[in-house]
Amino acid sequence: MTHEHIVKKFDRNLEKIKVSVLEMGEIVIQQVEDATAVLVTFDSKEADRITMLDRWVNGLNKEIYDRAEILIVRRQPMALDLRQSLAPINISSELERIGDHAKSTAKRAEIINKGDPVQAALDLILEMSRLVQTMLRDVLVAYANLDVELAAEIRMRDREVDNLNKQMLEAAIALTRAMPENAEALIHLVLISRNFERAGDHVCNIARFVHQIATGEDLKASVT
Amino acid sequence: MADPIITARDVNIFYDTTQALFNVDLDILPNKVTALIGPSGCGKSTFLRAINRMNDLIPSCRMEGSLTIGNQDIYARDVDVVALRAQVGMVFQKPNPFPKSIFENVAYGLKIHKLTTSKSELQDRVEWSLKNAGLWSEVADRLDQPGNSLSGGQQQRLCIARAIAVQPKVILMDEPCSALDPIATAVVEELIDNLRKDYTIVIVTHSMQQAARISQRTAFFHLGKLVEFGDTKTVFTTPNDERTQNYITGRIG
Repeated sequence: MTHEHIVKKFDRNLEKIKVSVLEMGEIVIQQVEDATAVLVTFDSKEADRITMLDRWVNGLNKEIYDRAEILIVRRQPMALDLRQSLAPINISSELERIGDHAKSTAKRAEIINKGDPVQAALDLILEMSRLVQTMLRDVLVAYANLDVELAAEIRMRDREVDNLNKQMLEAAIALTRAMPENAEALIHLVLISRNFERAGDHVCNIARFVHQIATGEDLKASVT
Repeated sequence: MADPIITARDVNIFYDTTQALFNVDLDILPNKVTALIGPSGCGKSTFLRAINRMNDLIPSCRMEGSLTIGNQDIYARDVDVVALRAQVGMVFQKPNPFPKSIFENVAYGLKIHKLTTSKSELQDRVEWSLKNAGLWSEVADRLDQPGNSLSGGQQQRLCIARAIAVQPKVILMDEPCSALDPIATAVVEELIDNLRKDYTIVIVTHSMQQAARISQRTAFFHLGKLVEFGDTKTVFTTPNDERTQNYITGRIG
């Protein structure tokens, strides 16, 4: 952005709300990281904490919506400003959904604990989680800097997450046949894998919003 | 897309040695509301006034280039400016009813252009104009009262009724709502939207929200140049030129 607003307070308001979205993003990254750790530690207290944390994240989403709404009413933004004012609503809502998937993962970890975790399947999920966490970190950087190229690259990376999800499903089917006694744990692992696959999709949506803010072009209809 | 009703080609306008407009090319489509926006002194009002040759009244003002309405070059030597102004009505920033009755305000143009042949036809046309300006129900029982006894919003609709009485092709509006309260503004905006079925409207406005609400096409002028002209949706959501973006988002450009 080459110019400041004549009304400086508008710049400050836009910046503040963006910082809140980035802070919410940091919390969600932590949520995903912690939920992944629970898959290995089976710490049920930690799983409960992550579930509680999700309420806070939902509250942040609501707070960001309210602030963006007031900003729009007060400033009646247009063009780039309108996109910058709407972005916090859209992006925080995607973050909130990623938080839901982290919560779901943490809850299922407890159930897996009851069965015998199947290491090969779990390894695939841990790899997915690493990819999604990096994508999430990078998409926040892309949003902070309105970096269209980084946003495009993140969308490409999601294919790898989708592939791992597919591999996970195939592995689960094979393992269920070989070890039917682990079926319950494997079903939950498939659903956890789905959580990360969906989280990757939400990161991609954020990357599309970054592209839209910077260029005005809506990528919703396109594949990447 | 329909053929343009107003075509400006390479229009340059000077006040003495100061150039107010530079090489403006602009096509205005029929039955659309075209908004002219830009900072004060950008040339938008100068362009608006060129469309009905109001700049002729300023001795130092000189125009180059061509401006046609329909296929008529409105700056040709043989053009009757009074007849031109019957084709191109104008509504100003401040409502300016004549110091006459409501009826006479609307009848005035019809009389001077001799557009009616009988008293009953005149009465019908005045009623038709007031109805189309959305004012009839408010003044039907007091047509003999002075025009300036009406409220600001009503006076502006009276001026619009006066403009449409002579059934012009084009109505020019120079900040028609800037002296009106929000409710009167909304009534006039609704009226503008209804009028475009029968007329082509060109409006200068300082309110970008108003331009976004009521126009289909928007032209952005800056320092005497036409910077950007296109569909209103595009101009206000994804403008092509950085100067347009800076202006509509309230940045120092």
